Amino acid sequence: MTTMTLAHLNDTSEDVTQRPPLVLGDNDFASITEKVCSAVEMTRTPKIWWVLFGISSSVMTMLLALIGYLFYTGVGVWGVNNPVGWGFAIVNFVFWVGIGHAGTLISAILYLFRQKWRTGINRFAEAMTIFAVICALVFPGIHVGRVWMVWFLFPIPDQQLWMWPNFRSPLLWDVFAVGTYFTVSLLFWYMGLLPDIATLRDRAKTKLRETVYGVFALGWRSSNRHWSRYERAYLILAALATPLVLSVHSVVSFDFAVSQLPGWHTTIFPPYFVAGAIFSGFAMVVFLAAIARKIYGLQEIITLRHLENMNKIILATGSMVGYAYGMEFFIAWYGGNPYESFAFASRAFGPYWWAYWIMVSCNVICPQLYWFKKIRTSVPAMMVIAFFVNVGMWFERFVITVTSLSADFLPSSWDMYWPTWVDVCTLIGSFGLFFTLFLLFIRWLPMVAMAEVKSIMPQAHAHGHSTGSAAGMAPSKPKIAEVVG
Amino acid sequence: MSDQAPKKFAGYLVEFETPHDIMVAATSVRDAGFTRWDTHTPFPVHGLDHAMGLRGTALPWIVMLMGVTGCAVGLGLQWWTNAHNYQFVVSGKPFFSIPATIPVTFELTILFSAIGAFLGMILLNGFPRWHHPVFSSERFRRATQDRFFLSVEAEDPLCEEDKTGEFLRSLGGSHLEKMEV
Amino acid sequence: MCRKTSEGPFDDREDTVSAPNRAIDLSGEQITLGPVGDRVTRIAGAIGVLGLVATALLGMQGGVEGQARAMNSYLVAFCFFLSIMLGALFFTLIQHVTRAGWSVVLRRFAEAIAANAPLMAVLALPILVPIALGRDLLYVWTSSEALAHDHLMAGKVGFLNPTFFLIRMVVYFGAWSLMGSWFFRKSVEQDTSGDPNLTVKMQSASAPGLFVFAITLTFASLDLLMSLEPNWFSTMFGVYFFAGSALAFFATLPIVSYFTQKAGRLVGLISREHYHDMGKFVFAFIVFWAYIAFSQYMLYWYANIPEETVWFLRRQTGQWESLSWLLLFGHFIVPFLALISRIPKRAKGTLIVGAFWMLLMHYADLYYVAMPHLSEGVIPLSLMDLTAMLGVGGFFVASVATRLRNRSLVPQRDPRLHESLAFENF
Repeated sequence: MTTMTLAHLNDTSEDVTQRPPLVLGDNDFASITEKVCSAVEMTRTPKIWWVLFGISSSVMTMLLALIGYLFYTGVGVWGVNNPVGWGFAIVNFVFWVGIGHAGTLISAILYLFRQKWRTGINRFAEAMTIFAVICALVFPGIHVGRVWMVWFLFPIPDQQLWMWPNFRSPLLWDVFAVGTYFTVSLLFWYMGLLPDIATLRDRAKTKLRETVYGVFALGWRSSNRHWSRYERAYLILAALATPLVLSVHSVVSFDFAVSQLPGWHTTIFPPYFVAGAIFSGFAMVVFLAAIARKIYGLQEIITLRHLENMNKIILATGSMVGYAYGMEFFIAWYGGNPYESFAFASRAFGPYWWAYWIMVSCNVICPQLYWFKKIRTSVPAMMVIAFFVNVGMWFERFVITVTSLSADFLPSSWDMYWPTWVDVCTLIGSFGLFFTLFLLFIRWLPMVAMAEVKSIMPQAHAHGHSTGSAAGMAPSKPKIAEVVG
Repeated sequence: MSDQAPKKFAGYLVEFETPHDIMVAATSVRDAGFTRWDTHTPFPVHGLDHAMGLRGTALPWIVMLMGVTGCAVGLGLQWWTNAHNYQFVVSGKPFFSIPATIPVTFELTILFSAIGAFLGMILLNGFPRWHHPVFSSERFRRATQDRFFLSVEAEDPLCEEDKTGEFLRSLGGSHLEKMEV
Repeated sequence: MCRKTSEGPFDDREDTVSAPNRAIDLSGEQITLGPVGDRVTRIAGAIGVLGLVATALLGMQGGVEGQARAMNSYLVAFCFFLSIMLGALFFTLIQHVTRAGWSVVLRRFAEAIAANAPLMAVLALPILVPIALGRDLLYVWTSSEALAHDHLMAGKVGFLNPTFFLIRMVVYFGAWSLMGSWFFRKSVEQDTSGDPNLTVKMQSASAPGLFVFAITLTFASLDLLMSLEPNWFSTMFGVYFFAGSALAFFATLPIVSYFTQKAGRLVGLISREHYHDMGKFVFAFIVFWAYIAFSQYMLYWYANIPEETVWFLRRQTGQWESLSWLLLFGHFIVPFLALISRIPKRAKGTLIVGAFWMLLMHYADLYYVAMPHLSEGVIPLSLMDLTAMLGVGGFFVASVATRLRNRSLVPQRDPRLHESLAFENF
């Protein structure tokens, strides 16, 4: 990546007297449509896309092969043992669910906070959410051992035993939390896509494209009567997705925290997991956005300011994660429980010390570089940091899962956990799945929410720059007069 | 449009270039008393609901109803399966207790509400509907891109082919077109 | 979908068109408290003196037990107003860190309340001086006799000892006083100079400020409240106290705005839209508090480890159980249902009633945290609870009123004031 040289593309000034424009350059509705749609409508797919797709789909094929091998042979091909019954599968699951959280944060929480800059990146991030949750869902599915019994995760009446799943178990809460999360994210994403799919339908040059996009557009005719209900539904979905996204990683944290295991059983887990999830998710969004905006020339829509804002969120959430690490350590000592303090001492100085310090340096120390504006606004720097953040967050889940399980109350039952080649390659394979889905998405669907971006452009303002407003429609002006000083 | 039957007048379509223009026009059409008409904008224009005289939607009530249902289903499912239909002891925990049921109940409340919001929007808007008179216009393709349209359907009791055309022409749009199906 | 109103922190439009740095004519508005401020100061100050004297006198009557009871009443009242002050500080910091526009017209209230930090340091003396003199009646870990019998507690003596405790208090109150006074001073300075660089300065200070805030608030809550029962611990306790503090301030804000407008000040400046937003924050923090409280409860309830459940067990025994239920319904379920719609948030009347109710519930929450160690199974309601609240509250209000007497009630030359005034919900 090269840093941008065009001056107008740097919109990160700290001028407090005026807001920078949300979309840069001399764009209007037509040019935004053109720029976003061209990525989908290009007749010749860029070479770089094919290269990336080739790599990621081969990696995905490896994942499928390894899953086949696992099913055929059994979970013995993994490194899990007794006492570490939860190995890479749960680590990868928590990691991927966490990646998804940034999408919901951008599409729902930033919407409620009226952060209009979100419109440049929300589509992109929401898509990432869905693909990340798909990757996450692979792991609990394949780690159950007897995979033909996986339907028993759901309360489906069974003719032989007439038994039900155990609703008192946090693992079942997970099924409902992640299942709901996936469904709601998909609905939210599709709803946001609806007007943009209609745009693609209306621009289609071939009958096939028009039909396919037309079917999915459901007959959207951008009617204001529809927009009215659409916007209300959007607001409601945002209001529902906000507590949902908090609950999902909280419930995931319950998997650990309701137990009595030292290092797992601590009350800060729910907000700490949520902060960590948003942290890693934003790192992934920054990483992908920095590449995609360059390849598809979207620097005026996904601006440097977007990236800077996300980096600030990474700094904030990374520090929250650091706060949680600190609190855990302090309370482990303060609580006076020797098992608890041992668990934490062994995390930092025990056999897995390297994992712990990778985690701390990537998650707590590395984002502190974002205190410097130069680093916050440098694309190469942020890609490096985003990469390390994701490495760190993966190791965080590894540290939590493995250190606590491998050395619990009874020294005679302690054992080390080491992943096998199957574990490692399955993890790599899940990235193949993620990137394959992501590449298909940017090839066939608009990666920027066009309708939303248009609505925040200055031209969209029906009253602002016009010569006059029709009677009865003037916006409520403040009662005070304004004088230019 | 490829069939041989003679085309029938289905209403008018007026094109505007800015959100402001369509806002002004919508106010006039509203005041003229039309009922079967609409505006089409590439993005939601703030204030257009008011200019068109639209009233609120029942959507929040649908969502609330679905939310309450989801909550009841969540609690009921957990109680019925674990505490009533097939009781089994797991690590000495009670068959049914409120704190342990909250996560699943919460998730199902959200799930049902969200489905209510989505499907409610879809159904209230009459989707899917792949055929509509406005689609007969080639220019209308820009309604999802950069142009603002106002449509009056022939079914509107006030809509007369000649008089309404004159009226709509007076609104100052950049293009007026008959919709025919 | 984002509608086009001029509200968001990253809003552009009209602002970029008109000349930057425009001044806003506020001549038609009353923007200082003036004589009303004097009246409030006098009345509140008198209530404060009477309240504290009454608490002291009532406490003296009951011997050592009465004094301990008075100290606990005082601690709850102190923490109540401390949490409002901390919530105000949080609000000031977070508005700057997010470059918010909508809230400018309300920010002076937050700044003035946050600048009460030095006052809270003085009001902390009745808690701190006895500890320094070795005659503490609040915290069991200050007693060497108790330490001799309780080995678990004795293990914490490296942290829970009077000297380190006092040092920490100096650090907390020092940090809060510095931040609270600085933000108030800089903001007031801008009223006269109109210098936009002051906004830049406040923004740059806000991010590190939030770090200091998070750490000091956490440890202060552990010290002042959690260590009342020193053998119990929770990693989330700081977040729990934070949730209550932010909620308390967000409930205070519409009340202060309402009475200021009732006195004829800022009448045309604070609009229904601002009340709506304050209502949203009250609602959001009701939910956030419930989320934190539930998570803390559920994790201990489910794991069922005696050393952890003891804290909740005590609060579910005897009369305390009714307080637990009151918090569940009064602090969460009822206000949640009452404020979920936009209508009650936009109607001043219901919002103010809701805000007062939430303050009452916040007091109940602090009472629930701080009092049960005193009496098993019985809620020890006392007149001193009321007098202590009046005492601390009187000084708290008087100090804010004095501070604002001759100063503008809005940051009148803040570069984003016009955004705040034109802001509209959709």
